[in-house]
Amino acid sequence: MPEMTPVQTLLIAIIQIVLVIAFVFVVVPLTIFAERKVLGFVQQRLGSTRIAGKLRGITGLQNRFMWGMGRFPIIHYFRGLPGLVGDIVKLFIKEDIRPAKADRFVYLIAPCVSMIAAMLVYAMIGFYPGTLFTIPSFIPLIGGLPVGGTIADVNVGLLMLLGIASVGVYGIVLGAWASNSKYPLLGGLRSAAQMVSYEVPLTISMLTPVILAGSLNFNEMTRVTATGLSPWGVIPLFIGFFAYITCGFAESNRLPFDMPEAENELVAGYHTEYSGMRFGLFYLAEYINMSIVAALASAFFFGGPWLLPFGLQRFIPETAFWIGQPHWYIFAVKIVFFLFVYIWVRGSWPRYRYDQIMDVAWKYLIPMTLVNLVLAGIVRYFA
Amino acid sequence: MDQFLSYINQFFSYIGQHLFLIFGLLAVISAAFLVFAKNAVHSVLTFLAAMICIAACYLTLQSEFLAVAQLLIYAGGIVVLFLFVVMLVELSKFKENRLFQKQTPYAVVIVMAGVGGFMWMFRRLIFDSSASIPLTLSPELSEGLNVANQNAQSVSRGLFTGYLLPFETMSVILLIALIGAIVLAKQSRA
Repeated sequence: MPEMTPVQTLLIAIIQIVLVIAFVFVVVPLTIFAERKVLGFVQQRLGSTRIAGKLRGITGLQNRFMWGMGRFPIIHYFRGLPGLVGDIVKLFIKEDIRPAKADRFVYLIAPCVSMIAAMLVYAMIGFYPGTLFTIPSFIPLIGGLPVGGTIADVNVGLLMLLGIASVGVYGIVLGAWASNSKYPLLGGLRSAAQMVSYEVPLTISMLTPVILAGSLNFNEMTRVTATGLSPWGVIPLFIGFFAYITCGFAESNRLPFDMPEAENELVAGYHTEYSGMRFGLFYLAEYINMSIVAALASAFFFGGPWLLPFGLQRFIPETAFWIGQPHWYIFAVKIVFFLFVYIWVRGSWPRYRYDQIMDVAWKYLIPMTLVNLVLAGIVRYFA
Repeated sequence: MDQFLSYINQFFSYIGQHLFLIFGLLAVISAAFLVFAKNAVHSVLTFLAAMICIAACYLTLQSEFLAVAQLLIYAGGIVVLFLFVVMLVELSKFKENRLFQKQTPYAVVIVMAGVGGFMWMFRRLIFDSSASIPLTLSPELSEGLNVANQNAQSVSRGLFTGYLLPFETMSVILLIALIGAIVLAKQSRA
């Protein structure tokens, strides 16, 4: 590979970033739509078939269009999708209200901190091993150069990822404080305590694949956990996955751990005073965090992102169609599955009480993950 | 066009060579804001910015592990606790109106002494023969390891072989401090 000039490196990185942003902005709205449909299915109703409004104006036009979609057999199920577009337009054109006593600077940057911390994690996630595609040579300046599947293949990738994710709590806490109102403040304090507590078992549970693989590099670790793992390694990996997914739910503030925005106690928690796209950034960051938790779960506990889970890859010949070679669509399927699990859990479980949440973190999850860590060490040493 | 491109390339490579200075300057600026900010939450925010800049400085020195530890422990843990405390304190009681306090002269003397000491140490580190030794705890332990690429491994070898006793003693001392804080808090409540 020829040595790249700084401009070429930057341009390639920008292409990768645009691809990641496109991925995120496709996945997030679809998750929101899927959430409505799956919750509707869980609660035995249709879910997302029309939007609020009469038969006049823009909403009326949309409603009549969605009604028309209902006449075709398969499109019938997806007639809520145009309503999603309406939601996004509403987020953008809604009036941006700032409370008079709010701390202006902190109020403005809090949603940005949330969003940036969520998006930055994607820099460390490998979507594809090696080169994703090569730019055709007729394009000036960057023609013929490879575009890698990972933006930053860092040596200590896992720790870097956890470090950036731990900065995400500032968005919630600062937004809560800057609103200068008591319900957001209460929500912010709760979320700070909750997220700092659950970060400990999350980190310890993610150390299980690190010990089993013997590397902190994302690509190296996924390769070893997918192919070179002893059969006994499945036991600590399974317990670690259980602890990880629980902590992941708590870290992304989803049900049954959505203390920061418990509606019946705190209005809407930390984003009570936010409106328009500033609220939208918090909303997006939550769904991006969900997809990150899903991506990491599939990468570390389900046999590497691009391979089949449970060591099944060993039994499939390399020439097999679609599933023989590592590929990004296996990763996508896993992410979609875990996002579905998120919605499934939301539909099935009630919210914990606050003291119960703290008990779960400190009294059960941390001892469990520590014992599991020792177990992983034993497996690594003897098997 | 080619002239322009090469000019831009030179510009970026120049920036790439001086990233350490840029982030160091940013860290110093945010530290200055930390000291002079009137609002305590703004102080904590600039403290966070300074911590992230220092982590970036470590990255430019090719010590990724140290950078990540800085990010995880300081930016992700300690500053959150600072923010927690500052948010809970009634801020209007502690409104600072004057830029300088009456302790300022003593503080300036102590800081100048500290700066002198550190400058002496840095002179030894940067210009003496020890500057050529790689940035590990003990270089003979990192034999066979590529220090630039296997940061975590070289740090852990140093910590868990040559410096095991000081390392474990440190952790016990931290534990004592933790338990001591709990004991003190419990006494005052009863």
